[in-house]
Amino acid sequence: MRIAADRLLGLALIGLAAFIAVQSLQLEVPFSYEPVGPKAFPLGLAALLAGLALVLVFKPGEDGHWPHPALALRLLVVLGLLLAYALLFTRLGFVPASFLVVATLARLFDASWPKALLTGALMATGSYFLFTEALGIALPSGTWLADVI
Amino acid sequence: MFDFLIEGFGVALSPLNLGLAFLGALLGTLFGALPGIGPINGIAILMPLAYTLGLPAESALILLAGIYTGAEYGGRMSSILLNVPGDAGAVMTTLDGHPLAKKGLAGPALGLSAVSSFVGATIAIIGLTLFAPLLAEVAVMFGPAEFFALMVFAFSSMAVMMGKDPIKTALGAVLGVLIATVGVDSGTGVMRFTFGMPELYDGVDFVVMIIGLFAISEILLMLEHAHRRDADDEMPPLGRVFVSLKEVMYCKGAMGRSGLLGFIIGVLPGTGASVAGAVSYTTEKRLSDKEGTFGKGDMRGLAAPEAANNASAAGSFVPMLTLGIPGSGTTAVLLGALMLYNITPGPMMFTERPEVAGGLIASLYIGNIVLLALNLPLAGVFARVLTIPRWVLVPAIAILAFVGVYQLHSDLTAIYLMLIIGVFGYLLRKLGFSLAPVILGYVLGGLMEQNLRRALSISGGDAGILWQSGISLGLWIAAAALLVLPWLVPKLLAGRRRHAS
Repeated sequence: MRIAADRLLGLALIGLAAFIAVQSLQLEVPFSYEPVGPKAFPLGLAALLAGLALVLVFKPGEDGHWPHPALALRLLVVLGLLLAYALLFTRLGFVPASFLVVATLARLFDASWPKALLTGALMATGSYFLFTEALGIALPSGTWLADVI
Repeated sequence: MFDFLIEGFGVALSPLNLGLAFLGALLGTLFGALPGIGPINGIAILMPLAYTLGLPAESALILLAGIYTGAEYGGRMSSILLNVPGDAGAVMTTLDGHPLAKKGLAGPALGLSAVSSFVGATIAIIGLTLFAPLLAEVAVMFGPAEFFALMVFAFSSMAVMMGKDPIKTALGAVLGVLIATVGVDSGTGVMRFTFGMPELYDGVDFVVMIIGLFAISEILLMLEHAHRRDADDEMPPLGRVFVSLKEVMYCKGAMGRSGLLGFIIGVLPGTGASVAGAVSYTTEKRLSDKEGTFGKGDMRGLAAPEAANNASAAGSFVPMLTLGIPGSGTTAVLLGALMLYNITPGPMMFTERPEVAGGLIASLYIGNIVLLALNLPLAGVFARVLTIPRWVLVPAIAILAFVGVYQLHSDLTAIYLMLIIGVFGYLLRKLGFSLAPVILGYVLGGLMEQNLRRALSISGGDAGILWQSGISLGLWIAAAALLVLPWLVPKLLAGRRRHAS
């Protein structure tokens, strides 16, 4: 059998279906006034999922274009950057965190350094005033800086 | 019978709501025109912010509906000028729209598509006004069993009509329904699939879900196109900006037919703008393409899909408002937004909340005129949006996504969950899934299970109740026919042909 993306997906989905089935069977229902209960619906879905996934395993479609290694690396970098944004969001505060992340993200999308830094500065401060002044959203001012001061 | 519409115009013509309809139309057109951001992404990104404005339900819905219809208008820009469809609904627009732009008729093409969109949407909104109250009267008779059958019908019509791959459409819907089962089970209080995480007790949050699925996955997907420069990337000159009356009259047949067709397709649950565009284009080609000019820059080939996809956008409000079943991925997002306001759309909405149902329909009339007025003279301005580089666009989406989730939850777990869902959405898109079935499954999944269990509670566990009434039996048969016919009909035809020869 040829290894195709759809086959791997099908196998993964069958695994997911099995996991869901096991999890729903383990649900303990103390008492129930209704005949169906919380197990039946997920069990039925798991069966449907497994059935559809089997079709995928036996009749996979075309593979599509997957990112080459260099692009995959950039994808991971962007994901890491978004994760870092999440981590810094409350700790460093909205404006500095956004400045760093916007500038790096712009650089990753092929802006030159000066343009990237300028975009970061403008977007971080501009959006801060838009959100807090115009929309009344409270944004984090950062716990790290507060500790230092 | 049209009391709701009179009350609706009273609501929609208040200064606040007029302003919101205008703002929605403007923002929607801009977001729809942005490269890579279609209507559904536009709503997903802007919805949490609309929610923070603290608007009453009908005003929020008017704003969101304005964004929705505006984005359908804006989606045509990149199709015509760059040959890059903004979303699935605008694919057919590229076929004749881009050749027209290459002939130096980009301005008239944009103008014509605005007029066709207006005509298509007008036909559909009138249809919505006439048809929705009637359907609501029928829908009052629906019990849990009928609703369950209706949702099965919606999913099967979606699997057949949406996307190239019915198996993947069905898989996407099942995955969406499964995500909806996370959280406290309303019937028994049992925790399902929460893995001890308190954040999941209320289920996967709607805003986290749509922002992750659409905005974050879009960021990852755009990275792929960051380096690739298409040959067609050069923007053609707009030329004269106004379309002449003669050109519009030349296309009036195409607009009328496609508007009607688009409305009907939009009403069918689960089939949205992409199907409407494709069906109307092929129909129009068959009817009027006598000289073989379709695909080479025929104005009728542009007018047909544009009228149809805007008509289907308005048409998909019919099942959403009357039955609570969204007619497209985007209306599924709107339905979820309504649920944030504790309004469950359904047959009672026309009698119990006429200001919401009527206000929305009235605002569609107003928004449609606003859109035409905005789009005809300002086409050149909106076209400039296309030249915004990705390195500005992507960070802006990231900020909007993070702030949107953060201001609703003030909680990092929600942001992590958003990122995880974003990766999941990216993988699905790379594997050839369309995201609309996933979001439809997610929005409808909870209702589907509730109705199933309610029906079986009424009957004491006897599954026969599910197909006892005429309505539900009819829906089951229709659903089965939809699933079987696409396989059966070609075989029968082939058999008869063999028999004949």
